[in-house]
Order: sequence, then C-alpha cells, then structure tokens
Amino acid sequence: MSAFSRMYRAETDIDFVGMRKRWFIISMTLLALSLFGFLIRGLNLNVDFEGGVTVQVSNETNSNVADMREALTNIGLGDARIEFLDSLDGSSSFRVRTQALDQELERELVRTVAETAGVGIEETDVEAVGPTFGEEITRRAIQALVVFLIVAALFISWRFEWKMAGAGLTALFHDLTITFGVYAVVGFEVTPATVVAVLTILGYSLYDTVVVFDKVNENVESWSEKHTYTEVVNKAMNQVLMRSINTSLTSLLPVGSLLFVGSYLLGASTLREFALALFVGIAAGTYSSIFVASPLLAVWKEQEDYWQHHRRRLEGRREAKIAKTTVRTASAPQASRPPSSAGARPRPPKKKRKKR
Amino acid sequence: MSKRLVSLVVILAIAWGGLALALANDMEPKLGLDLQGGTSVILRAPESTDEDVLKKAVETMRSRIEAIGGVQEPEIQVSGDRNVLIQLPGVTNQEQALSVIGQTGQLSFRRVLAQRGFEDPFADPSDGEDTTTTIDLPGVDPTTGLTINDDPTQPAWLASYLEDGTVSEVLQVDGTSLMGEQVDEALPYFDSTENRWVVQLGLDSTGADAFETMTREAAQFGLYVDPQRRIAIVLDGEIVSAPWVTPNEGISGGTAIISVGSQEEAQDLSVVLRYGSLPISFERLDVKKVSATLGSDSLQGGLIAGVGGLILVAIAVMFYYRVLGLVTVLGITVFGSLVIAAIGTLGRVQGLTLTLSGVTGIIVSIGITADSYIVYFERIKEEIREGRPLLLAVDEGFSRAFRTILTADTVSIMGAFLLYALAIGPVKGFALSLGIATVIDIFVAYYFTRNAVGILARSRFGEGGWFSIRGASGVALEGGTS
Repeated sequence: MSAFSRMYRAETDIDFVGMRKRWFIISMTLLALSLFGFLIRGLNLNVDFEGGVTVQVSNETNSNVADMREALTNIGLGDARIEFLDSLDGSSSFRVRTQALDQELERELVRTVAETAGVGIEETDVEAVGPTFGEEITRRAIQALVVFLIVAALFISWRFEWKMAGAGLTALFHDLTITFGVYAVVGFEVTPATVVAVLTILGYSLYDTVVVFDKVNENVESWSEKHTYTEVVNKAMNQVLMRSINTSLTSLLPVGSLLFVGSYLLGASTLREFALALFVGIAAGTYSSIFVASPLLAVWKEQEDYWQHHRRRLEGRREAKIAKTTVRTASAPQASRPPSSAGARPRPPKKKRKKR
Repeated sequence: MSKRLVSLVVILAIAWGGLALALANDMEPKLGLDLQGGTSVILRAPESTDEDVLKKAVETMRSRIEAIGGVQEPEIQVSGDRNVLIQLPGVTNQEQALSVIGQTGQLSFRRVLAQRGFEDPFADPSDGEDTTTTIDLPGVDPTTGLTINDDPTQPAWLASYLEDGTVSEVLQVDGTSLMGEQVDEALPYFDSTENRWVVQLGLDSTGADAFETMTREAAQFGLYVDPQRRIAIVLDGEIVSAPWVTPNEGISGGTAIISVGSQEEAQDLSVVLRYGSLPISFERLDVKKVSATLGSDSLQGGLIAGVGGLILVAIAVMFYYRVLGLVTVLGITVFGSLVIAAIGTLGRVQGLTLTLSGVTGIIVSIGITADSYIVYFERIKEEIREGRPLLLAVDEGFSRAFRTILTADTVSIMGAFLLYALAIGPVKGFALSLGIATVIDIFVAYYFTRNAVGILARSRFGEGGWFSIRGASGVALEGGTS
C-alpha cells in the first residue's frame, strides 16, 4: 500500500513524539536563522510605524536608482531610501522613502519622483505619516496582540487545560518568529497589512493547534486505558494528519494564488508581500501544531505523576502480555487496539484530575 | 419533503435570495480607498478639545470639500475622542485635497477704504446718471466685482455675507500686516453696564502697534458716516465683521472691545478670531493617496486570486472527498453569497467599506470554512473505519466535528472581536470581515453542511461506488481493507 493511501485511510503509524528530536532540531535551526536575520538585517518597517513619507510610482521611463538619487539630491533629499521594485512581468516601480517632511518639501518630493519616473502626479501613491501616529499603530497592535494571547490562553485552559495553552502558545511564537525572520531575511517592507497577515497567522496557528488538541483530548477520554499519553498523542497526530495536510492545502491554495497573481500577473507588490507572509505563516502554523505543539505537550504531560504511573503500569502489563503471546505463539499485533471505541469506555483520567 | 430537505432549501433560498436581493438593491459592497483610488487623511485635534468644537470643525471641512466639487461620497468622521478620518474616494490630487482640509483659515485685520454702493466706487464718473458698474480692476472678477484671490497684504474688494449666503455688503479693504497669529485672546462676555454682548480682543505687542496705527488713521474719518472709519476682520477672503472705530484717538495698548448683537454672535466671532474658521489646528497624522491604477490592480488581483483559489480548492476537495467535495463547493457558494450580502448590507446600513485588508480577511476565511468541511469529512471517514454504519457515522460524526469547529471558530471570532475593538487602521477592516465570515461559517456548517450530507447519505450517493461517501471513506461495506 502506498504512503498516500495509508494516509488516506489514516492508517499511518508515524511516531511523531518519538522523533521529536528531529523536529526540534529543524525548528531550532529555523528559529536561529530567523533571529540571525533579525540581528543582521532588522525589519524594514514602513512609514506607518516610524513616521515619514513614502512615494511609490511605476517606472515608465526605465530610470534607474542612480537617476532617481540624482533628482532627489537636487531637491536636498539625497539621503532618501530608494527601492527599485522589479516585477516579473518586466515592469518596475520605485518606492522612495524619506523622513517626515513639511508640506512644501513633500509636494516637491512627489513632483520630483513622478517626473523622474515619467508619470503624472495623479498616478503616484503617497503616504505621509506623522511620527506619533506610527507609534500609536504599533502600540495599539501590540496591545491587541497581548490581550488576544491572554484571552486565547484562558480559553484553551478552560476548554482543555493550561498545559495545552502553553504548548499552543509556544507553537504560536515559533510561527511568528519564523514569519518575521523571513521578512528580515528577504527585506520586504513591514506594513500594517503585514501586521494583519501576522495576526491571521496567529489565528491560524491557534486554530490549528486547537483542532489537533481537541483530538488528543478525545483520545485521552476513550483511548488512554491501554495507552501512554505519548501513544495517545501519536495516535491523534496520525488521525489528524490528513486533515492538517488538507486544511493547509485548502488555505494555502487561495493564498498561493494571491502570491502568484501578485507577483506574476500584476505588478501589485503589496499583494505579493502580504501573500508571502500568509504563505509562510500558514505553512509554519500547520507544521508547528503537529511537530512542535504536540510533541511538546506529550513530553510535558508525561512528567505528571499520573501519566508516569500509568506508563509503568502499562509497560508491566505489556511485558506480561508479550510473554503470554510468545508462549501461545499467536500473532496479535492488533491486540492493543480495541475493536471499536464504542466498547467499554475507560474512566477518563482528566475528570479525576479536575476533582483534585 | 423531509425535514432536512426543507432546511436545505430554506438556507439556499436565504443565501442566494439574500445575495440577489442585496445586488438588486444596489447593495454590492462599497469599495475602500485602497481598492478604488483616492486620498485618505487622518487628523488629530489637540488634547482635550471640546466635542462641539470638533463637530464644528468637521462641518467646516465638509463644506470646504463640497466646494471643490467632483468628490463622490466624501466621508468625514470623528474617531475616538480627537481623531478625524477623512476619506476622499477618487481624489488623487493630494495637494488640492490637503489644501482644503485641516488648515485653519487666514485671518487679517484691514482698514476699510471704500464701500460699494455707498459712493458707487465702480461707477464711471464720466457716465453721469448711469449706475451700471464697469469693473476693470486687476484681480477682480468682472461679474461679482470681488477680488478673486485675496492676498492680505494687498488692497482687495471683499464681501460680507448673510447667513443664507447672499452678499450683505461689499467693501474695499487695504493691505495689512496684522494677521490672525497676532491675536492673543478673544473672549466673549456680557457687558452689564452697557447691556450688550462684546468680544474682548487682545493682541501681542507687534499686533498692538499695527492696530494702533490702523485705528488712528481710521479715526480721522467721520464716525458712522464714512466707511473709512471701519476696520474689517477678514477670514479667507470673506469679511466676518467690520466694526467702527469709536475712539477719536484710535485704539492703543493692543486691547479692543468689539460689540456685537447677540451672545451667539459674540461666541462665533471669538472663535473665528482665535482659530480662523477651523476652530482647531489639527496635526496631520497620516495622509495616504492611492492612485486609481494601484487601486484597481489590487482589486483585480484580489478577485483573480480569490476566484482562482476557490477553483483550486474545489478541484482538490472533489478529488479527495468526491461527492462530499460537491457539498463543499456548493457550501462555499452559500458561504460566499452570505458574506457578500452581509458586507453589502453593512456597507449600506453602517457605511462599512471593503478594503484590501477586508478582502484578505475573506480570503483567509475561505481557508477556515474549507477546514470546517475537512474536519467533518475526516470525522465521517474515521467513524466508518471504526465500523459504524454510514448513517450513524454521518450523524454522530457531525455532532463531534461540530464541537471541534465551534471551539476553533471561537478562537477566531474572539481574535477578530478583540482586534476590532482594540486595533486601529487596516487591522479593523480585516478583523471585521474575518469575524463576519467565521460566524457565517458556523451557521453554514450547522444548517447547510449537516443537512446536505444527511440527504446525500440517504441517497444513492451514500453507499454507491467510487464517487459516493462510502467510496470516499476508503472502507468497503463488507469491512475489508481494500
């Protein structure tokens, strides 16, 4: 049977938790690269965050950065940052950014940039942000983020348990760091739209983790009598694997088409940058809920007294069983599987802990 | 008809009927500036600005914008306690837009030189009895007889207006150096000894000197007889008030009392004297101009991506879930119709506009809604694999899957709600459309998906061949593995 059809029937038996070292090394490498990117290149924050003026025009005269620099130096803005944006359809555009200017100079800037690129003033895209407003956007976004994280943690703790909230949030930070790392490395501009994308990733990452943990919890209730916590988590992972793959596929398809359309068909660089953040974030979100959040949860839960006892008890019982089956020379690899979950339900350990 | 079929028909009628109704009533979603081009400005009033003053400023800006003409549906709204959001769709000439809003008017004090109609300064002296005016003065509009672009340092013909906009009087005023910035204070109060409302004007030292010279010159002329005894207070080329100089020796010391008719007039005049016509000076927080090209590119890109993405999703789910994929495709049209109708309706009722970040919120929610189907379908497959009969698997599966969907959607809705409440700018638009779409997702899952799959399971698509639900589960009826 091919790997795909095994996955199709959810009959895979991958030891996600057992192979956790491998996943953790992958994640650690990605995280380290991201942090490295931060430190070396930093984030390319747009004017919304720091205040300043951005003028973007499509380049109709095939001017290069030097032409633009020269024109800007003539009006005393030689220190402006000039980005040359290449579109894959052959067109290009300029994005010029300066510090906050007074109105007079700002007008001059727009006129100069438009002239150099050979377009009318009406065809320019301009954004001028006072420094206080940029600070406020950032502050409010962070504020909203923190409140959201607290509320989400409380919700997951209430709906599931606090260790799941902990593992979920760890996965979340993992995804955010990687997304920002990609931004730092690629050097794309961070705009409020990017913040939106990051918030989306946040939602996705948590959403995905919740779906996975929901399955884990269900398995704990119906399955844990004869299995250790690690095995319960592993089973849940194998069960939701196809869901996770399909879901990320269906989420990535629209985003991917946004990415494709944004970069190949139209010169809409905003869309491209936005879609990239989403693409990376969603992919990381799916990855982390399976390969980071869940192994982490398993390791964490296995340290609880209850599950340690449970594990020792099971190991003892299994040894006895193996001894017995060898004597009888009967092959019963499926013996550990109950014929149906509709059978006698074991007492859910979760409830017992709650009473304590 | 079974109960399921009735519910299914009802929800399809709601979704498609709602969409048709919304479109028929011209309630397609209103596009934001970033999708159609235009200028948006955010201004901030100084701290502890009175609400009434802010409202008055907004009114002034609105009338100034209407005066430019050609702006479709300008939107000006107060956000928070001191931010003013101005949206000018279609306005891509930023300089023009900015020159009208957010700037305080230019106030000047000027000696009156002549009054039109008083001695008919435009009448041609050689013309005898003929009172028709022949105006041939530089910078003067020949039909109105008023100076077109008032430069406060030059003499000009200006008018004062009654409340209904008709011209009250036309005066020729001198050029001046005394401007609004030199006003220190202007307070309305009731002068009880004279039993009248007055405005107490205070000028700074340079203003005081200029004012003294000006009033001394004016005082040479006959009080209440010669218009040259008056001083005009001019705001943006309009005479606000032109009081007579009563003291014969002019006014020294930089303080003057202007007597006016009523308390309201006193208050209005003092506001004008202090701030110009915009009663507050605003700080420009954010100016954003999107050219029509970028706007339509983004919209086009978003639409192509959205439709293309949906087609790809449809192909993927049809391949993987077969007949259930059909349910998904149909369900997404239901979902899409409801989202468009909801946003269109909100646009009409609440003035919600669909921005680029809003579109993104929707594209993201396509992923979330597709996931609801996948969670449910995977659950059905699992139940079947555990040996449940198909109908039980479909029904039991839904109640379990719905619990998962509800939990996960709750996280999304919570996030959307918090972002909407706490964040500002584009994040708000994103949060709103994500929130709306997620709520609709729960609704669609419960009323559409459950019933549609329920009906299918009982039809020949339930237990049929490769394309059926059983076929998609990968477990044959006999319980074999192949």
